[in-house]
Amino acid sequence: MGVPTASVPTVTGERPSRFSKLLKPFAFMSLPTAVLVLLFLVPMGILVYFSFQYGDLTGQAGFTFSNFTDILGDELYRRIALTTFEIATIAMIAQLIVGIPLAYVLAYKAGRFELPLLLALVLADELNPMVRIYAWRMLLGREGLINDALTSIGLIDAPIDALLFNKFSVIVVLSTSYLTYTVIPIYASMKAVDSGLFEAARDMGAGWFTTFRRVLLPLIAPGIFIALLLVYVPLFTDFAAPTLVGGTTGYMLGNVVSDLVLENGNLNAGAAMSFLMLLAAALFSLVAYQLSRVKQGAK
Amino acid sequence: MPLSRRIQRALPNGLSIALVGLVMLILFGPVILLALFSFNDSTVISLPWEGFTTRWYTEAINDDGAMHAIWNSVMVASVVTVASLILGTLASWGLTRIKFRGRPLVAGIHGAVLVVPWLIIGVAGLIFFSQIEMALSLNTIILMHIVVTFPLVVAVVSAGLIRFNPSLEEAAIDMGASQFQMMRYVVMPQIAPSLAAAAIFAFAWSFNNFEISFFTGGFEQTFPVWVYGVLRHSSNLPVVNAASTVIAAAQVLLVFGLWYGMKLMTRKRGGSDREAAEMITGAVR
Repeated sequence: MGVPTASVPTVTGERPSRFSKLLKPFAFMSLPTAVLVLLFLVPMGILVYFSFQYGDLTGQAGFTFSNFTDILGDELYRRIALTTFEIATIAMIAQLIVGIPLAYVLAYKAGRFELPLLLALVLADELNPMVRIYAWRMLLGREGLINDALTSIGLIDAPIDALLFNKFSVIVVLSTSYLTYTVIPIYASMKAVDSGLFEAARDMGAGWFTTFRRVLLPLIAPGIFIALLLVYVPLFTDFAAPTLVGGTTGYMLGNVVSDLVLENGNLNAGAAMSFLMLLAAALFSLVAYQLSRVKQGAK
Repeated sequence: MPLSRRIQRALPNGLSIALVGLVMLILFGPVILLALFSFNDSTVISLPWEGFTTRWYTEAINDDGAMHAIWNSVMVASVVTVASLILGTLASWGLTRIKFRGRPLVAGIHGAVLVVPWLIIGVAGLIFFSQIEMALSLNTIILMHIVVTFPLVVAVVSAGLIRFNPSLEEAAIDMGASQFQMMRYVVMPQIAPSLAAAAIFAFAWSFNNFEISFFTGGFEQTFPVWVYGVLRHSSNLPVVNAASTVIAAAQVLLVFGLWYGMKLMTRKRGGSDREAAEMITGAVR
Protein backbone atom coordinates (compact mmCIF):
# COMPACT_ATOMS: atom_id res chain seq x y z
CA MET A 1 0.00 0.00 0.00
CA GLY A 2 1.11 3.56 0.50
CA VAL A 3 3.94 2.73 2.85
CA PRO A 4 7.14 3.30 0.94
CA THR A 5 10.13 1.05 0.98
CA ALA A 6 12.22 2.87 -1.61
CA SER A 7 15.57 3.95 -0.33
CA VAL A 8 16.08 7.67 0.07
CA PRO A 9 19.39 9.12 1.15
CA THR A 10 19.55 10.14 4.77
CA VAL A 11 20.04 13.73 5.78
CA THR A 12 23.41 14.15 7.37
CA GLY A 13 25.76 17.06 7.68
CA GLU A 14 28.87 14.92 8.12
CA ARG A 15 29.63 11.24 8.35
CA PRO A 16 27.35 9.85 11.03
CA SER A 17 28.91 8.37 14.08
CA ARG A 18 28.10 4.81 15.00
CA PHE A 19 26.13 6.10 17.93
CA SER A 20 23.84 8.38 15.90
CA LYS A 21 23.41 5.63 13.34
CA LEU A 22 21.74 3.54 15.99
CA LEU A 23 20.11 6.33 17.90
CA LYS A 24 18.33 8.06 15.01
CA PRO A 25 16.20 5.16 13.81
CA PHE A 26 15.48 4.37 17.44
CA ALA A 27 14.34 7.91 18.18
CA PHE A 28 11.87 7.91 15.29
CA MET A 29 10.78 4.32 15.05
CA SER A 30 10.72 2.93 18.59
CA LEU A 31 7.40 4.43 19.65
CA PRO A 32 5.38 3.64 16.48
CA THR A 33 6.84 0.14 16.31
CA ALA A 34 6.13 -0.50 19.98
CA VAL A 35 2.49 0.53 19.46
CA LEU A 36 2.19 -1.81 16.48
CA VAL A 37 3.75 -4.72 18.32
CA LEU A 38 1.78 -4.25 21.51
CA LEU A 39 -1.64 -3.42 20.04
CA PHE A 40 -1.54 -5.20 16.68
CA LEU A 41 0.91 -8.11 16.59
CA VAL A 42 0.32 -9.30 20.16
CA PRO A 43 -3.52 -9.22 19.92
CA MET A 44 -3.36 -10.99 16.56
CA GLY A 45 -1.06 -13.60 18.11
CA ILE A 46 -3.46 -14.10 21.00
CA LEU A 47 -6.33 -14.42 18.50
CA VAL A 48 -4.48 -17.21 16.70
CA TYR A 49 -3.59 -18.87 20.03
CA PHE A 50 -7.24 -18.74 21.13
CA SER A 51 -8.40 -20.35 17.93
CA PHE A 52 -6.39 -23.47 18.84
CA GLN A 53 -7.67 -23.64 22.44
CA TYR A 54 -10.81 -25.02 23.99
CA GLY A 55 -12.14 -23.09 26.92
CA ASP A 56 -14.08 -24.00 30.03
CA LEU A 57 -15.37 -21.76 32.76
CA THR A 58 -11.97 -21.39 34.37
CA GLY A 59 -10.22 -20.21 31.23
CA GLN A 60 -8.28 -21.74 28.39
CA ALA A 61 -7.94 -25.46 28.99
CA GLY A 62 -5.85 -26.93 26.23
CA PHE A 63 -4.85 -27.38 22.62
CA THR A 64 -7.40 -28.47 20.03
CA PHE A 65 -8.25 -28.38 16.34
CA SER A 66 -11.95 -28.81 17.08
CA ASN A 67 -12.78 -25.11 16.61
CA PHE A 68 -11.70 -25.41 13.00
CA THR A 69 -13.16 -28.84 12.33
CA ASP A 70 -16.47 -27.70 13.86
CA ILE A 71 -16.64 -24.69 11.59
CA LEU A 72 -15.51 -26.43 8.43
CA GLY A 73 -17.83 -29.39 9.02
CA ASP A 74 -20.92 -27.29 9.69
CA GLU A 75 -23.43 -27.28 6.86
CA LEU A 76 -24.97 -23.99 8.05
CA TYR A 77 -21.62 -22.17 8.04
CA ARG A 78 -20.92 -23.45 4.55
CA ARG A 79 -24.21 -22.01 3.36
CA ILE A 80 -23.50 -18.66 5.05
CA ALA A 81 -20.02 -18.62 3.52
CA LEU A 82 -21.61 -19.15 0.12
CA THR A 83 -24.11 -16.31 0.71
CA THR A 84 -21.25 -14.07 1.82
CA PHE A 85 -19.26 -14.92 -1.28
CA GLU A 86 -22.29 -14.26 -3.46
CA ILE A 87 -23.10 -10.88 -1.87
CA ALA A 88 -19.49 -9.68 -1.77
CA THR A 89 -18.82 -10.75 -5.35
CA ILE A 90 -21.96 -9.19 -6.81
CA ALA A 91 -21.29 -5.97 -4.87
CA MET A 92 -17.69 -5.94 -6.15
CA ILE A 93 -18.71 -6.55 -9.77
CA ALA A 94 -21.41 -3.88 -9.55
CA GLN A 95 -18.84 -1.42 -8.24
CA LEU A 96 -16.38 -2.25 -11.01
CA ILE A 97 -19.08 -1.87 -13.69
CA VAL A 98 -19.87 1.61 -12.37
CA GLY A 99 -16.38 2.41 -11.09
CA ILE A 100 -14.24 1.82 -14.18
CA PRO A 101 -16.30 4.11 -16.46
CA LEU A 102 -16.54 6.65 -13.63
CA ALA A 103 -12.77 6.61 -13.13
CA TYR A 104 -12.42 7.02 -16.88
CA VAL A 105 -14.69 10.05 -16.93
CA LEU A 106 -12.82 11.54 -13.95
CA ALA A 107 -9.39 10.96 -15.44
CA TYR A 108 -9.96 12.01 -19.04
CA LYS A 109 -13.23 13.80 -19.54
CA ALA A 110 -14.21 15.75 -16.45
CA GLY A 111 -11.93 18.74 -17.16
CA ARG A 112 -12.42 21.43 -14.56
CA PHE A 113 -14.94 19.24 -12.73
CA GLU A 114 -12.28 16.63 -12.05
CA LEU A 115 -11.23 17.94 -8.64
CA PRO A 116 -14.70 18.76 -7.33
CA LEU A 117 -15.88 15.27 -8.33
CA LEU A 118 -12.88 13.71 -6.65
CA LEU A 119 -13.70 15.68 -3.56
CA ALA A 120 -17.32 14.54 -3.74
CA LEU A 121 -16.12 10.92 -3.77
CA VAL A 122 -13.95 11.55 -0.73
CA LEU A 123 -16.89 13.23 0.97
CA ALA A 124 -19.09 10.23 0.17
CA ASP A 125 -16.58 8.08 1.99
CA GLU A 126 -16.33 10.42 4.97
CA LEU A 127 -20.09 10.35 5.55
CA ASN A 128 -20.85 8.07 8.44
CA PRO A 129 -21.55 4.54 7.16
CA MET A 130 -24.24 4.03 9.78
CA VAL A 131 -26.04 7.16 8.56
CA ARG A 132 -25.90 5.79 5.03
CA ILE A 133 -27.35 2.43 6.08
CA TYR A 134 -30.11 4.23 7.91
CA ALA A 135 -30.88 6.41 4.89
CA TRP A 136 -31.20 3.38 2.62
CA ARG A 137 -33.45 1.65 5.12
CA MET A 138 -35.71 4.66 5.12
CA LEU A 139 -35.85 4.59 1.30
CA LEU A 140 -36.30 0.87 0.69
CA GLY A 141 -38.61 -0.17 3.52
CA ARG A 142 -42.19 -1.35 3.29
CA GLU A 143 -43.38 2.11 4.28
CA GLY A 144 -40.28 3.64 2.74
CA LEU A 145 -40.16 6.52 0.31
CA ILE A 146 -39.75 4.41 -2.84
CA ASN A 147 -42.82 2.32 -2.07
CA ASP A 148 -44.69 5.46 -1.02
CA ALA A 149 -43.88 7.24 -4.22
CA LEU A 150 -44.72 4.26 -6.42
CA THR A 151 -48.09 3.65 -4.78
CA SER A 152 -49.06 7.30 -4.75
CA ILE A 153 -48.51 7.68 -8.48
CA GLY A 154 -50.45 4.44 -8.96
CA LEU A 155 -47.65 2.40 -10.47
CA ILE A 156 -48.12 -0.37 -7.94
CA ASP A 157 -51.10 -1.31 -5.77
CA ALA A 158 -49.37 -2.80 -2.76
CA PRO A 159 -45.90 -1.94 -1.40
CA ILE A 160 -43.07 -4.13 -2.67
CA ASP A 161 -41.52 -6.08 0.17
CA ALA A 162 -38.63 -7.33 -1.93
CA LEU A 163 -36.68 -4.07 -1.55
CA LEU A 164 -35.49 -4.43 2.02
CA PHE A 165 -34.20 -7.14 4.37
CA ASN A 166 -32.67 -9.40 1.75
CA LYS A 167 -29.50 -9.87 -0.27
CA PHE A 168 -30.50 -7.08 -2.65
CA SER A 169 -30.57 -4.39 0.02
CA VAL A 170 -27.26 -5.59 1.47
CA ILE A 171 -25.66 -5.40 -1.98
CA VAL A 172 -27.03 -1.88 -2.54
CA VAL A 173 -25.77 -0.62 0.81
CA LEU A 174 -22.35 -2.28 0.51
CA SER A 175 -21.76 -1.11 -3.07
CA THR A 176 -22.51 2.49 -2.18
CA SER A 177 -20.39 2.34 0.97
CA TYR A 178 -17.19 1.22 -0.75
CA LEU A 179 -17.43 2.91 -4.16
CA THR A 180 -14.84 5.58 -3.28
CA TYR A 181 -12.20 2.95 -2.60
CA THR A 182 -12.98 1.21 -5.88
CA VAL A 183 -12.85 4.33 -8.04
CA ILE A 184 -9.84 6.19 -6.65
CA PRO A 185 -7.11 3.51 -7.19
CA ILE A 186 -8.41 2.88 -10.72
CA TYR A 187 -8.54 6.62 -11.37
CA ALA A 188 -4.98 6.99 -10.08
CA SER A 189 -3.71 4.24 -12.38
CA MET A 190 -5.51 5.84 -15.34
CA LYS A 191 -3.86 9.19 -14.64
CA ALA A 192 -0.49 7.48 -15.11
CA VAL A 193 -1.38 6.13 -18.58
CA ASP A 194 0.25 7.94 -21.49
CA SER A 195 -2.64 9.11 -23.65
CA GLY A 196 -0.44 8.86 -26.73
CA LEU A 197 -1.07 5.14 -26.54
CA PHE A 198 -4.70 5.72 -27.48
CA GLU A 199 -3.60 7.69 -30.54
CA ALA A 200 -1.30 4.86 -31.51
CA ALA A 201 -4.06 2.30 -31.07
CA ARG A 202 -6.38 4.38 -33.22
CA ASP A 203 -3.75 4.83 -35.90
CA MET A 204 -3.36 1.10 -36.07
CA GLY A 205 -7.07 0.73 -36.60
CA ALA A 206 -8.26 -0.45 -33.22
CA GLY A 207 -11.89 0.18 -32.29
CA TRP A 208 -12.84 1.55 -28.89
CA PHE A 209 -13.51 -1.87 -27.39
CA THR A 210 -10.22 -3.29 -28.63
CA THR A 211 -8.43 -0.20 -27.34
CA PHE A 212 -10.08 -0.59 -23.98
CA ARG A 213 -9.41 -4.32 -23.68
CA ARG A 214 -5.93 -4.47 -25.19
CA VAL A 215 -4.46 -1.09 -24.20
CA LEU A 216 -6.24 0.49 -21.25
CA LEU A 217 -7.26 -2.57 -19.25
CA PRO A 218 -3.77 -4.12 -18.97
CA LEU A 219 -2.37 -0.74 -17.90
CA ILE A 220 -4.95 -0.10 -15.20
CA ALA A 221 -4.88 -3.70 -13.95
CA PRO A 222 -2.67 -2.78 -10.95
CA GLY A 223 -5.24 -0.15 -9.95
CA ILE A 224 -8.04 -2.68 -10.24
CA PHE A 225 -6.15 -5.12 -8.05
CA ILE A 226 -5.58 -2.44 -5.40
CA ALA A 227 -9.30 -1.73 -5.52
CA LEU A 228 -9.99 -5.44 -5.01
CA LEU A 229 -7.61 -5.48 -2.07
CA LEU A 230 -9.20 -2.43 -0.46
CA VAL A 231 -12.83 -3.36 -1.13
CA TYR A 232 -13.34 -7.06 -1.82
CA VAL A 233 -11.60 -8.20 1.39
CA PRO A 234 -13.54 -5.91 3.78
CA LEU A 235 -16.79 -6.79 1.96
CA PHE A 236 -16.42 -10.34 3.29
CA THR A 237 -16.25 -9.20 6.89
CA ASP A 238 -18.95 -6.53 6.98
CA PHE A 239 -21.63 -7.15 9.55
CA ALA A 240 -23.38 -3.83 10.22
CA ALA A 241 -25.08 -3.73 6.82
CA PRO A 242 -26.27 -7.36 6.87
CA THR A 243 -27.57 -6.97 10.43
CA LEU A 244 -29.50 -3.80 9.72
CA VAL A 245 -30.79 -4.39 6.18
CA GLY A 246 -30.10 -8.09 5.56
CA GLY A 247 -33.03 -9.74 7.30
CA THR A 248 -32.69 -13.51 7.49
CA THR A 249 -31.48 -14.15 3.94
CA GLY A 250 -28.68 -11.60 4.09
CA TYR A 251 -26.85 -13.16 7.05
CA MET A 252 -23.09 -13.04 6.41
CA LEU A 253 -19.86 -14.39 7.92
CA GLY A 254 -19.28 -11.13 9.80
CA ASN A 255 -22.57 -11.76 11.63
CA VAL A 256 -21.37 -15.23 12.55
CA VAL A 257 -18.22 -13.83 14.15
CA SER A 258 -20.14 -11.10 15.94
CA ASP A 259 -22.78 -13.53 17.25
CA LEU A 260 -20.23 -16.14 18.32
CA VAL A 261 -18.19 -13.59 20.25
CA LEU A 262 -20.79 -11.22 21.68
CA GLU A 263 -24.01 -13.26 21.86
CA ASN A 264 -22.64 -16.71 22.69
CA GLY A 265 -19.48 -15.53 24.40
CA ASN A 266 -17.59 -18.29 22.60
CA LEU A 267 -14.25 -16.55 22.13
CA ASN A 268 -12.49 -19.66 20.81
CA ALA A 269 -14.95 -20.33 18.01
CA GLY A 270 -15.05 -16.59 17.18
CA ALA A 271 -11.24 -16.50 17.10
CA ALA A 272 -11.12 -19.57 14.85
CA MET A 273 -13.64 -18.05 12.44
CA SER A 274 -11.70 -14.75 12.41
CA PHE A 275 -8.45 -16.61 11.80
CA LEU A 276 -9.95 -18.51 8.86
CA MET A 277 -11.21 -15.24 7.36
CA LEU A 278 -7.79 -13.67 7.92
CA LEU A 279 -6.11 -16.59 6.13
CA ALA A 280 -8.50 -16.27 3.22
CA ALA A 281 -7.90 -12.52 3.09
CA ALA A 282 -4.12 -13.00 3.19
CA LEU A 283 -4.24 -15.62 0.45
CA PHE A 284 -6.40 -13.41 -1.71
CA SER A 285 -4.19 -10.36 -1.10
CA LEU A 286 -1.11 -12.34 -2.04
CA VAL A 287 -2.66 -13.57 -5.28
CA ALA A 288 -3.95 -10.09 -6.13
CA TYR A 289 -0.54 -8.59 -5.40
CA GLN A 290 1.27 -11.18 -7.54
CA LEU A 291 -1.19 -10.71 -10.39
CA SER A 292 -0.80 -6.94 -10.31
CA ARG A 293 2.99 -7.38 -10.55
CA VAL A 294 2.71 -9.81 -13.44
CA LYS A 295 0.48 -7.40 -15.30
CA GLN A 296 2.82 -4.53 -14.62
CA GLY A 297 5.77 -6.53 -15.88
CA ALA A 298 3.91 -7.46 -19.03
CA LYS A 299 3.41 -3.93 -20.25
CA MET B 1 -5.81 16.01 -21.72
CA PRO B 2 -5.61 15.27 -25.44
CA LEU B 3 -7.20 11.99 -26.39
CA SER B 4 -8.08 10.08 -29.46
CA ARG B 5 -11.35 11.31 -30.82
CA ARG B 6 -12.41 7.74 -31.34
CA ILE B 7 -12.15 7.05 -27.63
CA GLN B 8 -14.03 10.23 -26.88
CA ARG B 9 -16.80 9.19 -29.21
CA ALA B 10 -16.97 5.85 -27.45
CA LEU B 11 -18.24 7.61 -24.34
CA PRO B 12 -20.11 10.70 -25.43
CA ASN B 13 -20.41 13.65 -23.11
CA GLY B 14 -24.09 13.04 -22.51
CA LEU B 15 -23.31 9.57 -21.26
CA SER B 16 -20.52 10.81 -18.99
CA ILE B 17 -22.81 13.38 -17.46
CA ALA B 18 -25.55 10.79 -16.99
CA LEU B 19 -23.12 8.40 -15.33
CA VAL B 20 -21.73 11.02 -12.96
CA GLY B 21 -25.23 12.27 -12.19
CA LEU B 22 -26.48 8.77 -11.42
CA VAL B 23 -23.54 7.99 -9.14
CA MET B 24 -23.91 11.26 -7.25
CA LEU B 25 -27.64 10.62 -6.89
CA ILE B 26 -27.05 7.15 -5.46
CA LEU B 27 -24.25 8.32 -3.15
CA PHE B 28 -25.84 11.47 -1.80
CA GLY B 29 -29.57 11.22 -2.60
CA PRO B 30 -30.48 9.01 0.35
CA VAL B 31 -28.58 11.17 2.84
CA ILE B 32 -30.10 14.38 1.47
CA LEU B 33 -33.60 12.91 1.76
CA LEU B 34 -32.81 11.87 5.29
CA ALA B 35 -31.83 15.44 6.07
CA LEU B 36 -35.05 16.77 4.53
CA PHE B 37 -37.22 14.36 6.48
CA SER B 38 -35.56 15.32 9.73
CA PHE B 39 -37.65 18.50 9.39
CA ASN B 40 -40.89 16.62 8.73
CA ASP B 41 -43.47 16.89 11.50
CA SER B 42 -44.29 13.18 11.67
CA THR B 43 -43.14 10.25 13.77
CA VAL B 44 -42.77 8.03 10.71
CA ILE B 45 -40.36 8.85 7.94
CA SER B 46 -42.61 8.77 4.91
CA LEU B 47 -44.83 10.84 2.69
CA PRO B 48 -47.00 12.85 2.87
CA TRP B 49 -45.14 15.88 4.12
CA GLU B 50 -46.76 16.88 7.41
CA GLY B 51 -45.17 20.28 7.79
CA PHE B 52 -41.91 21.85 8.87
CA THR B 53 -40.64 21.33 12.40
CA THR B 54 -37.43 21.50 14.35
CA ARG B 55 -38.80 19.43 17.19
CA TRP B 56 -36.67 16.37 16.35
CA TYR B 57 -33.59 18.51 16.82
CA THR B 58 -34.82 19.67 20.20
CA GLU B 59 -35.51 16.07 21.12
CA ALA B 60 -32.10 14.98 19.91
CA ILE B 61 -30.44 17.63 22.06
CA ASN B 62 -32.42 16.42 25.06
CA ASP B 63 -31.70 12.76 24.29
CA ASP B 64 -29.00 11.69 26.70
CA GLY B 65 -28.05 8.62 24.66
CA ALA B 66 -27.52 10.61 21.47
CA MET B 67 -25.60 13.46 23.07
CA HIS B 68 -23.44 11.14 25.12
CA ALA B 69 -22.58 9.05 22.05
CA ILE B 70 -21.73 12.09 19.93
CA TRP B 71 -19.60 13.56 22.72
CA ASN B 72 -17.80 10.21 23.12
CA SER B 73 -17.09 10.03 19.40
CA VAL B 74 -15.77 13.57 19.21
CA MET B 75 -13.51 12.99 22.18
CA VAL B 76 -12.22 9.64 20.97
CA ALA B 77 -11.62 10.94 17.45
CA SER B 78 -9.76 14.03 18.76
CA VAL B 79 -7.41 12.01 20.95
CA VAL B 80 -6.88 9.47 18.17
CA THR B 81 -6.13 12.21 15.63
CA VAL B 82 -3.49 13.88 17.79
CA ALA B 83 -1.82 10.58 18.75
CA SER B 84 -1.93 9.30 15.15
CA LEU B 85 -0.38 12.51 13.82
CA ILE B 86 2.51 12.26 16.27
CA LEU B 87 3.15 8.54 15.75
CA GLY B 88 2.51 8.77 12.01
CA THR B 89 4.86 11.70 11.43
CA LEU B 90 7.63 10.05 13.43
CA ALA B 91 7.24 6.80 11.53
CA SER B 92 6.95 8.35 8.07
CA TRP B 93 10.15 10.35 8.67
CA GLY B 94 11.89 7.23 9.92
CA LEU B 95 10.68 5.09 7.03
CA THR B 96 11.47 7.56 4.24
CA ARG B 97 14.55 9.43 5.46
CA ILE B 98 16.53 7.09 7.69
CA LYS B 99 18.19 3.89 6.62
CA PHE B 100 18.16 1.15 9.19
CA ARG B 101 18.18 -2.60 9.33
CA GLY B 102 14.79 -4.22 9.15
CA ARG B 103 13.17 -1.20 7.54
CA PRO B 104 11.24 -3.26 4.92
CA LEU B 105 9.88 -5.44 7.72
CA VAL B 106 8.76 -2.47 9.83
CA ALA B 107 7.20 -0.81 6.77
CA GLY B 108 5.47 -4.09 5.99
CA ILE B 109 3.86 -4.24 9.43
CA HIS B 110 2.60 -0.66 9.00
CA GLY B 111 1.04 -1.70 5.68
CA ALA B 112 -0.39 -4.94 7.07
CA VAL B 113 -2.53 -3.09 9.62
CA LEU B 114 -4.27 -1.28 6.78
CA VAL B 115 -5.39 -4.48 5.02
CA VAL B 116 -6.55 -6.52 8.02
CA PRO B 117 -10.35 -6.10 8.27
CA TRP B 118 -11.53 -4.06 11.26
CA LEU B 119 -13.86 -6.83 12.37
CA ILE B 120 -10.88 -9.12 12.96
CA ILE B 121 -8.88 -6.40 14.69
CA GLY B 122 -11.91 -5.73 16.88
CA VAL B 123 -12.23 -9.38 17.91
CA ALA B 124 -8.47 -9.60 18.53
CA GLY B 125 -8.65 -6.44 20.65
CA LEU B 126 -11.56 -7.79 22.69
CA ILE B 127 -9.71 -11.03 23.49
CA PHE B 128 -6.46 -9.15 24.15
CA PHE B 129 -8.02 -6.77 26.67
CA SER B 130 -9.87 -9.59 28.38
CA GLN B 131 -6.56 -11.46 28.74
CA ILE B 132 -4.65 -8.52 30.24
CA GLU B 133 -7.74 -7.81 32.36
CA MET B 134 -8.18 -4.27 31.18
CA ALA B 135 -11.83 -3.22 31.44
CA LEU B 136 -13.44 -2.23 28.15
CA SER B 137 -14.10 1.50 27.99
CA LEU B 138 -13.41 4.56 25.86
CA ASN B 139 -9.72 4.03 26.64
CA THR B 140 -9.65 0.63 24.97
CA ILE B 141 -11.52 2.06 21.97
CA ILE B 142 -8.92 4.84 21.73
CA LEU B 143 -5.98 2.42 21.91
CA MET B 144 -7.33 0.20 19.13
CA HIS B 145 -8.33 3.19 16.98
CA ILE B 146 -4.81 4.59 17.25
CA VAL B 147 -3.18 1.39 16.07
CA VAL B 148 -5.36 1.17 12.94
CA THR B 149 -5.32 4.92 12.19
CA PHE B 150 -1.71 6.02 12.52
CA PRO B 151 -0.49 3.77 9.65
CA LEU B 152 -2.93 5.71 7.45
CA VAL B 153 -1.19 8.94 8.51
CA VAL B 154 2.12 7.24 7.67
CA ALA B 155 0.81 6.46 4.17
CA VAL B 156 -0.36 10.04 3.53
CA VAL B 157 2.64 11.84 5.02
CA SER B 158 5.17 9.45 3.43
CA ALA B 159 3.60 10.14 0.04
CA GLY B 160 4.23 13.86 0.74
CA LEU B 161 7.80 13.26 1.90
CA ILE B 162 8.72 11.13 -1.11
CA ARG B 163 7.60 13.84 -3.50
CA PHE B 164 9.79 16.32 -1.72
CA ASN B 165 13.50 16.33 -2.59
CA PRO B 166 15.73 15.57 0.43
CA SER B 167 18.58 17.61 -1.05
CA LEU B 168 16.78 20.74 0.18
CA GLU B 169 17.15 19.41 3.70
CA GLU B 170 20.84 18.73 3.09
CA ALA B 171 21.30 22.24 1.69
CA ALA B 172 19.70 23.75 4.78
CA ILE B 173 22.07 21.80 7.03
CA ASP B 174 25.06 22.74 4.86
CA MET B 175 24.17 26.40 5.18
CA GLY B 176 24.28 26.10 8.94
CA ALA B 177 20.70 25.40 9.95
CA SER B 178 20.24 23.30 13.03
CA GLN B 179 18.23 20.10 12.80
CA PHE B 180 15.34 21.89 14.44
CA GLN B 181 15.51 24.88 12.09
CA MET B 182 15.66 22.54 9.11
CA MET B 183 12.54 20.73 10.32
CA ARG B 184 10.74 23.94 11.17
CA TYR B 185 11.51 26.03 8.06
CA VAL B 186 12.19 23.47 5.33
CA VAL B 187 10.28 20.30 6.09
CA MET B 188 7.18 21.57 7.90
CA PRO B 189 5.97 23.97 5.17
CA GLN B 190 6.38 21.18 2.62
CA ILE B 191 4.44 18.54 4.46
CA ALA B 192 1.83 20.81 6.08
CA PRO B 193 -0.86 20.04 3.45
CA SER B 194 -0.20 16.31 3.83
CA LEU B 195 -0.51 16.67 7.59
CA ALA B 196 -3.80 18.54 7.22
CA ALA B 197 -5.17 15.85 4.90
CA ALA B 198 -3.93 13.13 7.23
CA ALA B 199 -5.61 14.84 10.20
CA ILE B 200 -8.98 14.90 8.47
CA PHE B 201 -8.71 11.30 7.35
CA ALA B 202 -7.62 10.18 10.80
CA PHE B 203 -10.51 12.01 12.46
CA ALA B 204 -13.03 10.56 10.00
CA TRP B 205 -11.63 7.03 10.33
CA SER B 206 -11.95 7.15 14.06
CA PHE B 207 -15.30 8.95 14.13
CA ASN B 208 -16.87 6.57 11.59
CA ASN B 209 -15.28 3.41 12.91
CA PHE B 210 -17.99 0.98 13.91
CA GLU B 211 -16.51 -2.52 14.12
CA ILE B 212 -13.64 -1.79 16.49
CA SER B 213 -15.69 0.50 18.74
CA PHE B 214 -18.44 -2.13 18.85
CA PHE B 215 -16.12 -4.91 20.02
CA THR B 216 -13.78 -3.01 22.32
CA GLY B 217 -16.15 -0.44 23.84
CA GLY B 218 -17.89 -2.51 26.48
CA PHE B 219 -20.85 -0.46 27.69
CA GLU B 220 -19.54 2.79 26.22
CA GLN B 221 -21.20 3.86 22.98
CA THR B 222 -19.72 5.93 20.20
CA PHE B 223 -22.02 7.58 17.66
CA PRO B 224 -22.01 4.73 15.08
CA VAL B 225 -22.55 2.16 17.84
CA TRP B 226 -25.46 4.20 19.20
CA VAL B 227 -27.13 4.47 15.76
CA TYR B 228 -26.61 0.73 15.27
CA GLY B 229 -28.25 -0.02 18.61
CA VAL B 230 -31.23 2.26 17.93
CA LEU B 231 -31.75 0.88 14.42
CA ARG B 232 -31.62 -2.69 15.69
CA HIS B 233 -34.50 -2.00 18.02
CA SER B 234 -36.22 0.49 15.75
CA SER B 235 -37.19 3.13 18.24
CA ASN B 236 -36.63 6.85 18.29
CA LEU B 237 -36.18 7.08 14.54
CA PRO B 238 -36.82 10.80 13.90
CA VAL B 239 -34.26 11.59 16.58
CA VAL B 240 -31.70 9.47 14.74
CA ASN B 241 -32.65 11.45 11.65
CA ALA B 242 -31.89 14.76 13.30
CA ALA B 243 -28.68 13.61 14.95
CA SER B 244 -27.45 12.02 11.71
CA THR B 245 -28.19 15.19 9.77
CA VAL B 246 -26.15 17.27 12.17
CA ILE B 247 -23.23 14.82 11.93
CA ALA B 248 -23.42 14.64 8.13
CA ALA B 249 -23.52 18.45 7.87
CA ALA B 250 -20.51 18.75 10.17
CA GLN B 251 -18.60 16.23 8.05
CA VAL B 252 -19.41 18.09 4.85
CA LEU B 253 -18.20 21.35 6.40
CA LEU B 254 -15.04 19.70 7.67
CA VAL B 255 -14.12 18.22 4.30
CA PHE B 256 -14.78 21.48 2.47
CA GLY B 257 -12.90 23.43 5.12
CA LEU B 258 -9.91 21.16 4.67
CA TRP B 259 -10.16 21.42 0.91
CA TYR B 260 -10.17 25.20 1.06
CA GLY B 261 -7.30 25.26 3.54
CA MET B 262 -5.21 22.94 1.44
CA LYS B 263 -5.88 24.98 -1.66
CA LEU B 264 -4.66 28.09 0.14
CA MET B 265 -1.57 26.31 1.41
CA THR B 266 -0.58 24.83 -1.94
CA ARG B 267 -1.28 28.11 -3.76
CA LYS B 268 0.82 30.08 -1.28
CA ARG B 269 3.89 28.07 -2.07
CA GLY B 270 3.20 28.09 -5.78
CA GLY B 271 1.77 24.62 -6.00
CA SER B 272 -1.16 23.65 -8.16
CA ASP B 273 -4.57 22.17 -7.53
CA ARG B 274 -3.14 19.03 -9.06
CA GLU B 275 -0.99 18.53 -5.97
CA ALA B 276 -3.96 18.89 -3.71
CA ALA B 277 -5.77 16.20 -5.67
CA GLU B 278 -2.78 13.93 -5.39
CA MET B 279 -2.80 14.46 -1.65
CA ILE B 280 -6.33 13.13 -1.52
CA THR B 281 -5.75 10.18 -3.81
CA GLY B 282 -2.49 9.46 -2.03
CA ALA B 283 -4.43 8.58 1.09
CA VAL B 284 -6.32 5.82 -0.63
CA ARG B 285 -3.42 4.39 -2.60
